[in-house]
Amino acid sequence: MVHYLIRRLLLAALTLLLISFLVYALIRKIPGTPLTVAQAAADPSLQMSKADQERLEKAYGLDKHWTLGYLDWISKVVRFDLGNSISRKEPVVRLIGQRVGNTLLLAVSSLILSYLLSIPLGLWSTARSDTIAERSVSLVLYMLYSLPSYVAALYLQILFAIKLDVLPLTGVVTPEAHDQMSVFGKAWDIFLHALLPVTCFTYGSLAYYSRFIKSNMQEVIRQDYIRTARAKGLAERTILVKHAFRNTLIPLVTLVGLTLPTLLSGAIILEMIFNWPGMGTLFFESLRQRDYPTIMGLTLMFSVLTLAGQLLADILYSVVDPRVTYS
Amino acid sequence: MAMAKGFPNDETRKATRSPGFWRETWLRYRRRPMSMLALAYVAAMAIVALSAPAIVGTKPIVCEYKGRLYFPAMGYFNPRWENPVFQRDRFRKRYPKNLLEKDPASWAIWPLVYQDPYRRVRKDEWPGQPANPIGADGKPSLHNLFGTDQQGIDVFAKMVHGTQTALLVGIFSMAIAASVGIVGGALAGYFGGWVDMAISRIIEVVLCIPALVLILALLAIVPKPTIWHIMAVIGFTRWTGIARLARAEFLKLKQTDFVVAARSLGAGQMRIIFKHILRNGLAPVLVPISFGIASAILIESGLSFLGFGPPPPSTSWGSVLYSGRSTIQVTWWLIFFPGTAIFLTVLAYNLIGEGLQEATDPRLRNDD
Repeated sequence: MVHYLIRRLLLAALTLLLISFLVYALIRKIPGTPLTVAQAAADPSLQMSKADQERLEKAYGLDKHWTLGYLDWISKVVRFDLGNSISRKEPVVRLIGQRVGNTLLLAVSSLILSYLLSIPLGLWSTARSDTIAERSVSLVLYMLYSLPSYVAALYLQILFAIKLDVLPLTGVVTPEAHDQMSVFGKAWDIFLHALLPVTCFTYGSLAYYSRFIKSNMQEVIRQDYIRTARAKGLAERTILVKHAFRNTLIPLVTLVGLTLPTLLSGAIILEMIFNWPGMGTLFFESLRQRDYPTIMGLTLMFSVLTLAGQLLADILYSVVDPRVTYS
Repeated sequence: MAMAKGFPNDETRKATRSPGFWRETWLRYRRRPMSMLALAYVAAMAIVALSAPAIVGTKPIVCEYKGRLYFPAMGYFNPRWENPVFQRDRFRKRYPKNLLEKDPASWAIWPLVYQDPYRRVRKDEWPGQPANPIGADGKPSLHNLFGTDQQGIDVFAKMVHGTQTALLVGIFSMAIAASVGIVGGALAGYFGGWVDMAISRIIEVVLCIPALVLILALLAIVPKPTIWHIMAVIGFTRWTGIARLARAEFLKLKQTDFVVAARSLGAGQMRIIFKHILRNGLAPVLVPISFGIASAILIESGLSFLGFGPPPPSTSWGSVLYSGRSTIQVTWWLIFFPGTAIFLTVLAYNLIGEGLQEATDPRLRNDD
């Protein structure tokens, strides 16, 4: 196990190095630098003089060849320094810290909701397999699974925020009014704002998980030990939950590992639609501003999470299924 | 049956020929009404895409002008296919009036709806048709079935012509992804060792690099990205799932007896890979291709929605959605129609993928 872990970690480090190098090369190749992009947006009369520009380029290390820039970046990273954002003049770590809460709020509540709803739903549809109610529920779930989240987000906005006018259109809190609210009022305000985004984050994975659980359950309940349990005269509920469901945990656990990166990455399009200042919008803005340190910091974080998620899934695998060992 | 009776003579030995893989898959696929419906939807989409200029446009499908036959509507597929004679005669893309004025003897067959996906139709361009309304006034009406956008361009025309983009994006980018994925996975699975190691690392890297960075950076390489570049880039970033499946399939199949037999007969490695193993390992790869088409359409619409869509000569459903977002307070039709189109198309490809999965999965064969 230790051997296996060390091998996996070494491979992961190699992959990370490769990814960060490639991403650095790619973003330096996208036309425009942080300085020129900011200038194009600003008033032309405020344009920097050539000398100023060269001075700034020197200050940010943009005058050097990109491979040297990469070496600079990586040498800082191994000292746990992600550098400073160019366009926002703040440490990248602080920028991420400001945004991560908003993204986690959506991601964690949607994760909990989708598991809380999809497990009973999956079990129910196994128990009521092939009844009219189950078929119509699974049809609806299938359609939800195919409904793109940004289309759903726009539809919900039109319905609830514009036509019915019961929920706020965008943002995390009501501007200005939020500061005067009581603690409970503040929480309620955030709840109202988060309702639509959380719905959009949840329904897709809810549909996916419950279909996933159902298909795994259907495979399991054909096994001999389920027939034995039935023959013993156990209650149907006990068979489903205790005997069948526990054996479908293995693929479910793998899924949890693989969703780890999406917890923090946020969803660019959804966050843009709801004007939700999270990681997704931070990433998109920094990409547009060619803010190299921020893009690199975020990419590094996502890649670490992706690789960690895969490793975690493999380790959890051997925890839930004693037959799986790594040696 | 013949076996049970022994072999009295050659004539009774003729057993019914067992159906081949594709035929059997088709027979199983046909049993699922939803999947057949999805197939019909995609077929209808293909017909709409191919006949888009005949459904809605401002250029005649066929016209006789100064004694010769022309097909100006072909200009919607490629601007060069519009005969230069109309440019020389200063038509300025206003066909109905100019045809009559410049050649009273001319005749033309027009598209079903006189609207244009790229420009606003003005008053009396078509006899009796008012100018397209702009912005909040552009509600769906008889003249503009799906309403108009902020510039007064007809949404129905954009949607019909955007069908081409949706269809092309799905098929072309998945063709790229499938070839890259199958070849990569095949090499990794068949050769193993350092080839496998290298290809597996590449897969991991492509998986980890944020899709948007990869797509934007690759698009930035070409000075003027067209819809073809976008499709190619989507294809080159979406092959990892297919490669993983192909790799697993090759790992399994390369140990089977028929591969050993082929090798002992002296078949070359390429022949073994592409002729013997690939044909047997294609079924599991088909399913992610179908799901991949759905996700390619989603990515293209998403890119358009973020403002990185194909530039004007092509329209896409995502760009209509993008234009609707800025005025979401009033222009619901700019969101409702493209949103529904994207949803139905993704649903159709998912249903096809599901149908294929059930049709090719040997575990689900309980009838034979």
